[in-house]
Amino acid sequence: MKVKVNDVELDLPPGTSAIDAVFAAGYDVPYFCSQEYMSPIGACRMCLAVVGAPRKERDGSWIMDEATGEPKIFYFPNPMATCTTAVMEGMVIDTLSDVTKKAQGGMMEMHLINHPLDCPTCDKGGACELQDRAYEYGSGESRFVFTKRHNEKHHALSDLITLDRERCIHCKRCVRYFEEVPGDEVLDFIERGGHTFIGTVEDGLPSNFSGNITDICPVGALLDTTSRFRGRNWEYDHTRSTSLDDASGSAITIDARTGRIERIKGALNTQVNKNWIDDGTRFGHEYVDSGDRIKTPLLRKNGKLEPVTWEEATHFIAEKLKTLSGDALGIVLRSDATLEEGVAAKALADHLKTGQIDHYPRYASSVIPANPASFNDLATAGAIFVMADATEEVPMIDLRIKDALKGVNPPTLMPHGVPIADLRLKERMPRKTNILTVAAPYRVDLMKHAGQVIDYKAGTEAQLLQQILDGSTDAGKALKESLTAADNAVIVLGAFVLNSAEASKLADDLAKATGAKLMKLGAMANSFGLEAQDVLPAKSDYSYPNMLAGSAKGLIVSGLNPAQNAEVAQMLGGLELLVVHDLFENETTALAHVVLPAKSGYEKEGTVVNLEGRYLSVNAAPVDGGQAVDFTGVVKELGDALGERLEGRSVRSSRRLLKKELELDLNDLPLEGTVVAAKSGKVSGLKPNSSGNALLVPSMVRPEYLSRNPHLLASTGGNALRLHPADAASYQLSNHDVIRVSVGGFKRLLSVHISESIPEGTLLLPALPDQPAGLVQVDVNSIRKEQFALEVA
Amino acid sequence: MVELATIKPFFAERQDVLNEILGRYPDYGRRSAIMPLLWEVQRAERYVSEARVHEIAEIIGIQPTEVKGVMSFYSTYHEHQVGKYHLQICSTLACSLAGSDEMYDFISEETGLVNGETDRQGLFSIQKVECLGSCTTAPVLQVNDTYYENVGKSRCKVLLDALRRGEMPEPWRERYGDNEGVEKAKPLQNTAKTGGNA
Repeated sequence: MKVKVNDVELDLPPGTSAIDAVFAAGYDVPYFCSQEYMSPIGACRMCLAVVGAPRKERDGSWIMDEATGEPKIFYFPNPMATCTTAVMEGMVIDTLSDVTKKAQGGMMEMHLINHPLDCPTCDKGGACELQDRAYEYGSGESRFVFTKRHNEKHHALSDLITLDRERCIHCKRCVRYFEEVPGDEVLDFIERGGHTFIGTVEDGLPSNFSGNITDICPVGALLDTTSRFRGRNWEYDHTRSTSLDDASGSAITIDARTGRIERIKGALNTQVNKNWIDDGTRFGHEYVDSGDRIKTPLLRKNGKLEPVTWEEATHFIAEKLKTLSGDALGIVLRSDATLEEGVAAKALADHLKTGQIDHYPRYASSVIPANPASFNDLATAGAIFVMADATEEVPMIDLRIKDALKGVNPPTLMPHGVPIADLRLKERMPRKTNILTVAAPYRVDLMKHAGQVIDYKAGTEAQLLQQILDGSTDAGKALKESLTAADNAVIVLGAFVLNSAEASKLADDLAKATGAKLMKLGAMANSFGLEAQDVLPAKSDYSYPNMLAGSAKGLIVSGLNPAQNAEVAQMLGGLELLVVHDLFENETTALAHVVLPAKSGYEKEGTVVNLEGRYLSVNAAPVDGGQAVDFTGVVKELGDALGERLEGRSVRSSRRLLKKELELDLNDLPLEGTVVAAKSGKVSGLKPNSSGNALLVPSMVRPEYLSRNPHLLASTGGNALRLHPADAASYQLSNHDVIRVSVGGFKRLLSVHISESIPEGTLLLPALPDQPAGLVQVDVNSIRKEQFALEVA
Repeated sequence: MVELATIKPFFAERQDVLNEILGRYPDYGRRSAIMPLLWEVQRAERYVSEARVHEIAEIIGIQPTEVKGVMSFYSTYHEHQVGKYHLQICSTLACSLAGSDEMYDFISEETGLVNGETDRQGLFSIQKVECLGSCTTAPVLQVNDTYYENVGKSRCKVLLDALRRGEMPEPWRERYGDNEGVEKAKPLQNTAKTGGNA
């Protein structure tokens, strides 16, 4: 459609909003209520412009202007909100006229009537849409001489989000966000007119994606409690990176100041997370700045770990390695290590001629599907079968499935990026819940939105998949038919399926039989990449669990804490060499000969491959990690001590190798990443439990760091042991009891959470990197309640 | 979060009323039942407590916050218990010009209450409200569901005295330009002996 914005003529597809036409033409209008990926509602009235269009005679010809001989433009009697106006053939939009300027200036003045103008003490100052627009479009003066409305300045909407009710301009972004994006309507306007405020009657904000409202708030009303009063926007170093919290590869912005991470914000990746991130990713960064981080290498001298120089530490290791040649040494990385670290570990293993190399946690079957689905496949799918606790494993899957339920395809990008007002989106759209089937051994969040729910007993994944494949049950048959009939069907497989080689094989068969694409949720951020790079044992006897069972005489462990298991700890105590590369002291460092300081996922430079097979850049934020290095740094230092220039001695060196192999320059990845086809690796050597009275479940919040994330700890109440009231009664537990219990040999500290929705006879507790999701035996006789002495003042 | 278990659900014994109200709307418009359900609760209990908000949300299958949002939009739904006589003083333009502020001051002085308060006995609540739609007979005072029009100081005094005795006077209504013609005001019976400034 031909549209004219001021002096620029454009040809735009029908359905484009007038505000997008203005931005596409390179002009600007102010707006507060419109938001990418959400419905336009015309609430703030800032995007007013003079708009007109030609009209047609009854015979279909244009009504002509006799003076010019052109079709006559009929202007709307008042300025129009361009965000809710669709373009028409021949439309004329005028954003520069005096009428437009006056209307916008007037609206600006109106917005500021009750705004406290406390910019000097506001965390949003310097990055505030209201502030910017007031400078650009406001008159700088107010005629409002009366007392402003006063309201609560520090209202805790939840433990993680603080609301300043005076600053709110009622744009309704946050209210719409909850209904439209995660589908949990937990926030609403209360009262009316000048008294309106946003509020909730729930207990906090019961949503897994609540933090996103702090990103989209155009003023300083909604703020991330973890970063409130920590710094000004212009003092922060903004580093765009990729989250290493889960396998989605969501884009984040790390805001750091004076060597500390102050906050994490969502960043735009149109192919992956759009603008959104989950609360685990957003609020789970405080551990990085915890005071007890290891910042120098430590060497055990006379039974005590003492700070030493890198040289001293690596010389000690090099000496030991002389006697530990060949397959006596094991090297293990945690599965959120970058590709570059994987290459470095392999280079080190090759140099030391050991086949004992692995990454962990990983599952008994491959996480690289033959026919992988992308996030956009998921968001446009006609039938979805989820066999996972997707919200906890890879939260972004949850949000993108909700896109599919709305049935609106991802928007086509405009010259200025994502459309600001996508007129296809509406408030309270009907959801096609019948396209979604969710199967899990317990009640998972996504079931609220699913048309079909399948409950099964943990450990019977293979039987369930067999039933679906055979069509031997009605539900199974219907599911198979709907997957086959749909144009674009996607099957999402989580830990419970991937942990069983048999179930995994059946799921592959189901995908083949129905033509569905597969999404396999890797255990951690780079599970896909490390498997594709073959950071795997040379033979199944050399897998990580086997190393811990005694196949190695020396061990280099990065990011893992195997000594939580008492039996393993005993074995580790007898090793000739134990090198631990980690952030904090733990049970394993207590046994280590050498401890090397590691970088957190926010400080690393590197590349990860998300569950689609998308290569994404991880960039380093300026965080004070002391002498911490990533694993490429460990390899470099060891190489120096061994007198060798090892491959993978730096990110650059690893990338040189990867470039040859992948024909992909990792220094030059686009922001949205690049998908490269991969083959599944030879995963073997894992024998997960097939029985037990408890289920280790994935969790969005990383349990290993929870005690060092004070805000998340307060809001979640600690790692939970979830169980049915009947079980609680039989173990004499009551809600909020804090207990210590032995779980498959691991000593765990858990808080009791009783709920009817947990299947009777099964205890649920969060999986750890060293204790991945799956069945486990809880020794119920070992339950000990923690006693807290309450002092009464 | 209010524990529903401890409070008896309002609609448990009113299944017929509930079904009638829900039956008015198609399945996809179930949330339209929010207002009639709120009204049903308020008529019986004179206000809608938090527990009832949660109950209605559960009946409709939405979040309690949404019910609260709807409820708080309308000043006719009450969050807190109101008195036996809920005095609603119209304070929009026409009534304001005709002296609703003076009426408010008078009632406030008489009852010792300010806007939004209820007295200890639970007899009176006073509230300033927006236009009651009876501008030709301003100022207007609405007591519970009854309109009292052209309420000057003396009428107000008589009315309050009557209410204190537990009598609800017949509404005096004055219509101008109506098809049915002028309805004469009933003469006010100044039964109670009023004090000094009456």
